[in-house]
Amino acid sequence: MDSGGLSFSNLTTKFETTMLRPTPEKTKTPSVPFKYRLVKAIDVAGLNFLTPVVRLCFGEEPRKQLKDIGLYIVIPILAMIFGVCGWFVVSEMVVTKSGKLPNPSETLAAAGSIWDFHVRENDKLSAFELTGAQRDARMAAVESRLKELEPLEEEINKEVTEEGKRAEERTQQRTAALEKKYDEVKKELDSAAEEREKALKAKSESIDKSDVDAKKAYIADVRKHRKALDVAKERLRDLKGRIKTLKDLKDDKLAAVLRKQTQIAEERQYLGKMKDQLTKTNRDLKVAGAKKKLDADLAAFYDAEPSKMYLAASKFVKGESRIEKLKSSEYAKPSTLPFQIKRSLLCVFVGFFIGTAIAIPLGIMCGLSKTVMAAMTPIVALFKPVSPIVWLPVCLIICSAMIPDPDKHFFTQWMWNLPILGKYQINPAFLASACTVALCSLWATMTNTALGVASVDEDHINVARVLRLGFWDRLFKIVLPSALPLVFAGLRISLGVGWMVLIAAELLSSSEGIGKYVWDQFNNGGSRSFANMVVVVFVVGIIGLILDRMMVVFQRLVSFDESPTAV
Amino acid sequence: MAFIKLKDVCFGFGPISNRYEVFENANLSVEENEFVAIIGFSGAGKSTLISLLAGLQKPDTGMVMMDGRPIEEPGPDKGIMFQNYSLLPWLSVAGNIELAVKQVFTEMQPNERRDYVQNYIDLVSLTGSEYKKPHELSGGMRQRLSLARTLAMKPEVLLLDEPLSALDALTRAVLQDEIIRIWEEDRRTVVMITNDVDEAVLMADRIVPLTPGPAASFGKSFPVTLERPRNRATLNFNPEFKKLRNEVTRYMLQINDEAKALSPAEDLSLPNLEPRMPGELPVKSPV
Amino acid sequence: MSIALRNVLSVALLIATSLCLSNVVQAQDKQLLDLEKDSLKFGFIKLTDCAPIVIAKEKGFFESEGLQVDVIAQPNWKTLLDNVITGELDGAHMLSGQPIAATIGFGTKAHVITAFTMDLNGNGITVSNAIWEAMQENDPALQSETPPHPITAASLKPIVQEKLDGGEKLQMGMVFPVSTHNYELRYWLAASDIHPGMYTKSDIGGRTDAQVELSVTPPPMMPATLEAGNIQGYCVGEPWNQAAVAKGIGVPVTTNFDIWKNNPEKVFGVTKSWSDENPNTHLAVIKALILAGKWLDETDEAGNLTNREEAARILSRSDYVGADFDVIKNSMTGFFYFQKSDKRAMPDFNVFFKHNCTYPWYSDGVWFLTQMRRWGQITEPKPASWYDEMAKEVYKPEIYLKAARMLVEEGLLAEGDIPWETDGYKAPTSDFIDGLTYDGKKPLEYLKAHEIGNKE
Repeated sequence: MDSGGLSFSNLTTKFETTMLRPTPEKTKTPSVPFKYRLVKAIDVAGLNFLTPVVRLCFGEEPRKQLKDIGLYIVIPILAMIFGVCGWFVVSEMVVTKSGKLPNPSETLAAAGSIWDFHVRENDKLSAFELTGAQRDARMAAVESRLKELEPLEEEINKEVTEEGKRAEERTQQRTAALEKKYDEVKKELDSAAEEREKALKAKSESIDKSDVDAKKAYIADVRKHRKALDVAKERLRDLKGRIKTLKDLKDDKLAAVLRKQTQIAEERQYLGKMKDQLTKTNRDLKVAGAKKKLDADLAAFYDAEPSKMYLAASKFVKGESRIEKLKSSEYAKPSTLPFQIKRSLLCVFVGFFIGTAIAIPLGIMCGLSKTVMAAMTPIVALFKPVSPIVWLPVCLIICSAMIPDPDKHFFTQWMWNLPILGKYQINPAFLASACTVALCSLWATMTNTALGVASVDEDHINVARVLRLGFWDRLFKIVLPSALPLVFAGLRISLGVGWMVLIAAELLSSSEGIGKYVWDQFNNGGSRSFANMVVVVFVVGIIGLILDRMMVVFQRLVSFDESPTAV
Repeated sequence: MAFIKLKDVCFGFGPISNRYEVFENANLSVEENEFVAIIGFSGAGKSTLISLLAGLQKPDTGMVMMDGRPIEEPGPDKGIMFQNYSLLPWLSVAGNIELAVKQVFTEMQPNERRDYVQNYIDLVSLTGSEYKKPHELSGGMRQRLSLARTLAMKPEVLLLDEPLSALDALTRAVLQDEIIRIWEEDRRTVVMITNDVDEAVLMADRIVPLTPGPAASFGKSFPVTLERPRNRATLNFNPEFKKLRNEVTRYMLQINDEAKALSPAEDLSLPNLEPRMPGELPVKSPV
Repeated sequence: MSIALRNVLSVALLIATSLCLSNVVQAQDKQLLDLEKDSLKFGFIKLTDCAPIVIAKEKGFFESEGLQVDVIAQPNWKTLLDNVITGELDGAHMLSGQPIAATIGFGTKAHVITAFTMDLNGNGITVSNAIWEAMQENDPALQSETPPHPITAASLKPIVQEKLDGGEKLQMGMVFPVSTHNYELRYWLAASDIHPGMYTKSDIGGRTDAQVELSVTPPPMMPATLEAGNIQGYCVGEPWNQAAVAKGIGVPVTTNFDIWKNNPEKVFGVTKSWSDENPNTHLAVIKALILAGKWLDETDEAGNLTNREEAARILSRSDYVGADFDVIKNSMTGFFYFQKSDKRAMPDFNVFFKHNCTYPWYSDGVWFLTQMRRWGQITEPKPASWYDEMAKEVYKPEIYLKAARMLVEEGLLAEGDIPWETDGYKAPTSDFIDGLTYDGKKPLEYLKAHEIGNKE
């Protein structure tokens, strides 16, 4: 797969060794053709599956490239298509009482509605802030859409009622045969039981009072009768269960209509709120209203009798400060998934950097000094296997204790007032999640750094000795660059672990983020929650993939030996 | 007085119970501006010798001296060119040289340094490859780079540890000429380790054989009196060259045989047994 | 306080139509308070009775008080309370027992107060299908599509006994040790002579002498836990009983309306220190919540709840309760499915304003205290005066009345909606499933009246 880099160096080797003339042993300065640079860039970016396409475009060994394209592009795509088909099939089969496994199209629809929610909340936010002509235009649009919706809503409501009735009929039709059968069987069994009972009663009269054997036989008969009753009951229960299953069957047509109704109702809800945001809760209008009031207060103050002047003046001053407050007020937007994704990413990077800041210095110390290594080994061995579930509460307690009142604490206040980070509301739960990520992810970096530092090539150390490099020069010019590929391999593992851990940590600490979103969806238990969760599976997977690729690129950039990175 | 002197040097590895003596009472002296080739079999302690000369290792007993002072630690005055190049793979050609230059000539200005580095790159004919990384270079180019780095430190003595042994014959020939060319510019003191008699004869002023280990020492030295510049193409027909080459080779083979004769017999005497199948009766071998 | 900045609301409405700021008619007096803090975070648990908070936000009641409120779902009651105490949240939708327990120091100790009762009723007890069938066998009256209510735990008793004989205990779920659900479930079981277990100093799980073991499960997890078979029944708020019916995994046998008619359910809790620091903000919040409650309970001439469908629609949003609209709609619009075939009208299943619901009654606090004592959460006997003092520590009708007074002055609330003259104790009532009488002023007598549990 990484033929790009290799073939490049091979080429120069060949070029050089086949030269018989001793001097000048040079390669042409601007020699590297565009193709090789492109292939190399693809290799560094870890997108090796594109290499055959590029080579094919340059007309290089078309057969081989086509074969590679088949192997690295067509087959994965086929596998994906196959997977999606399999998913469709499986999703129809996996039906539990808690719901059905959503199929790909339902999942896609769920992703759409998650996005809709995000867009609508942004709309509400912008509506809150809109002013003047823009607001009027927006208001007109909202009103006209509301008007459009009115007949639609009526129609769909009617449709739902009718479809509901029809669905009921359909259910009855479905179950009618079974119910009839149930009634028949019940009747039959009941009458059989009655007859047996009657026979038994009749028999009892014919038994002689002192005939013990006959009496014993009678008991056996009664036992038999009771058993038959139980069997009958079981059979009826089974039938009832089947009827119930049929009744519980989801009615697709009704569901479709209901979905449409929900859609319309949700849009109307949104438009209603938009209307509010554009009128009574609009910031600009509120400020304008307050200003008007302020003018009145000022006039009242000028007119005021000396005895009431103080009151009027303070009223005016208060009005002023109120306007300031209104001007800086903001719409409390609920967290949407895109926001939560961003916050999760921020959290994982904060945790990752905390972890790295601890792991790399410690790893270097371990690698440099056998004493430190000996001291650290048991600690690492002890803490490495600890699960995030255990770290989280510990971190949560520590972080909450350090920031007892986030609303007033200088640290959170400072964080909240930062220009970009401010909106992510860094709070103890966030920090606890980040610390959990750090604690779970630092080990890979640490051990890899220690290994990298400890296994610097003896020759490189000799070079350092010959050059009489001081400790720091030796560390930064020889040891660290030499350990860098291993360090980055460790960082890559760490980031992967961190991303996995974060979701769990957020879920438990209810720190706003993807983890909390999943937990909320699970708690919702609605018919769409399952599909939403599947969407998150893909979101988490794709982000994890991107993070991993990113680290691969870094790893490639620092790896001087051109060895391929594990995919 | 000799510029470099080994006096009664003993050196060994390992714990007392299982000690491997590399050198025993080794004595060597190299004059200033002399090009000495040390020739020896593999395992004779050639690389150890270079380490001792460079100060990377210290003798157990005896003295290693340079310019009349004992060698205490490695330093840029003892320019060493390692067998496997020891280039820093994360630095470019220029970067590798610059690291050394920066460390040795601390007062050099950046642009002055750049010219200086470029000078050495040109010297070893690596012009055009300044920004390549070592892994992008061929073996020969790497060795040139290693040479340039060593030279750039302006060492008082050049220690070459089998510099060309990892190269193919053609490249090797090219580099031999190159080293000589460069050396002849200022004729610095050189100690070169090699296992190739031809190379030694071609390049050195004096050839010193190393007796085979363990407990190696230096054998009798052969001065090379051939006129410089020595032409590789015509040298093969030079009777003096042939004679010297034969002498050295014969001497080397001879000390090797002596060493073998001296070393204890390591043959294990095996019992005289005949394989037999289980249950088979002993059969008398047909005599 | 009481700076009469007028008519922002009406101004805004007018602008909407005319976009003209002059000639504003001064329709009402909106008293905008001098807020100490105008952007707030409130927590809630995914239950329909969080409605007043959600509605106050979505219908703009908070905003018209000048508040911008974030409403954030919490994973469980413990985290919710912790977040309020640490200041992560400004206030939250709380179990009535939580402020009391926190104040007297059962569990996390912190002085938490409430000036607003969010709703009455709203809980149900659901059992698994298997238990329901067994109950039906024990009581032939239940073998109907629409069995007569109230259903007591009498038909459960033989099942419990059978399990005990087999060396097992029936497992049931409730949401929190000091939740209404815990006390209601215990009340229901004990009323039919089933011992739900005592809390002791060493047994904080409350299982000493238990015939039925109760365990804590967060409300949204209830149906899944029931389906998984870890518990055989649970007591929880809506929509989690209706969810069991919709998914066909359980049968609600009774609601807390049958256990105690119009019992207090959730409160809006804040810490005392928060309230002290932000008195005007607290008032503004209570004002908005009262209006939200009123909006939720609005009826037309025929007495039908008019706004509940819209409320259900809002609550079904995934960042609020998130359950399906159909499921939430049932109980919110005054109906309750006991089985798929058994839909009953329960107009008072959720009460958000009627019956002076929003007033923080001392007698409610005392009832919870008696239950805490009854089941041993309060380990020592206390004098009757202690109950009164504690209730007054937690319940703050003075704040409520102040907020209500402002609303009346603004013309948003009728004078008759609020019990101005009460001493904070409701009249004695015997609307319990076991027919006992509860008088908040006589807690010790009430304790004595019960068969099971501490009697003093």
